[in-house]
Amino acid sequence: MDDRETKDDMLQTTHAQRSQAGAPDLGANTAIGKRLKAYYDDVASEPVPDRFLALLDALDKAESASKTSDRE
Amino acid sequence: MSEQSDFRRELIAIIPNLRAFAASLSGSFDRADDLVQETLVKAWDKQHTFQPGTNMKAWLFTILRNEFYTQMRKKGREVQDVDGIHAMQLAGHPEQQGHLDLQDFRKALEMLPDDQREALILIGASGFSYEEAAEICKCAVGTIKSRVSRARTRIAEILKIEGDGDYGPDSISSQIIGVAPAA
Repeated sequence: MDDRETKDDMLQTTHAQRSQAGAPDLGANTAIGKRLKAYYDDVASEPVPDRFLALLDALDKAESASKTSDRE
Repeated sequence: MSEQSDFRRELIAIIPNLRAFAASLSGSFDRADDLVQETLVKAWDKQHTFQPGTNMKAWLFTILRNEFYTQMRKKGREVQDVDGIHAMQLAGHPEQQGHLDLQDFRKALEMLPDDQREALILIGASGFSYEEAAEICKCAVGTIKSRVSRARTRIAEILKIEGDGDYGPDSISSQIIGVAPAA
């Protein structure tokens, strides 16, 4: 997503200006930034479990069922 | 009807991020998925309050975070108080076996206060801006900045990473290799 790339760009810029800005640096090329991403992506890269798709199906059905009964 | 399925499609696309955020908050993969489930049910019920075109990811993260802290208050933080249990549960994740460096990092993250850890995740991993993270956590932008800064300093201390970012990739990887045998 574009947001994330913009974020990274911003953090890189921050990194370049760190001495003056004093802002935290978590760019993808830093030791902590890299590990943070690896930690997060370990879960975020997994496919969406079926239980959630089934849940959304059930919510969808429940909703259309209640809408139908409202109309009657 | 098509608006409905757009909502659903967008929701599904954000689930992987919700799971990662929930795992970092709760420290347990099982609890993370229960939190995501609660979040999806709540989001579905409140979908009329979501304004299409605004940031659904931030909206969902806010719901998940509220749910997490509501549960924590109810449970009196029993899970958090058991020292080291998070790291153990997370180390049991099958994907994680053999990733010593990542396990060290995980343990270091667990040592941070909740507010610092979540700020670090939102900014450094979930890809939110400081402004978005402040809105999700219902605090000032400056508060998020200082939490991230403190979290980063503390992690660097725990992992004994010095001068992070001041060296090229080679120096950094040799530092990482230098840290790994500690586990």
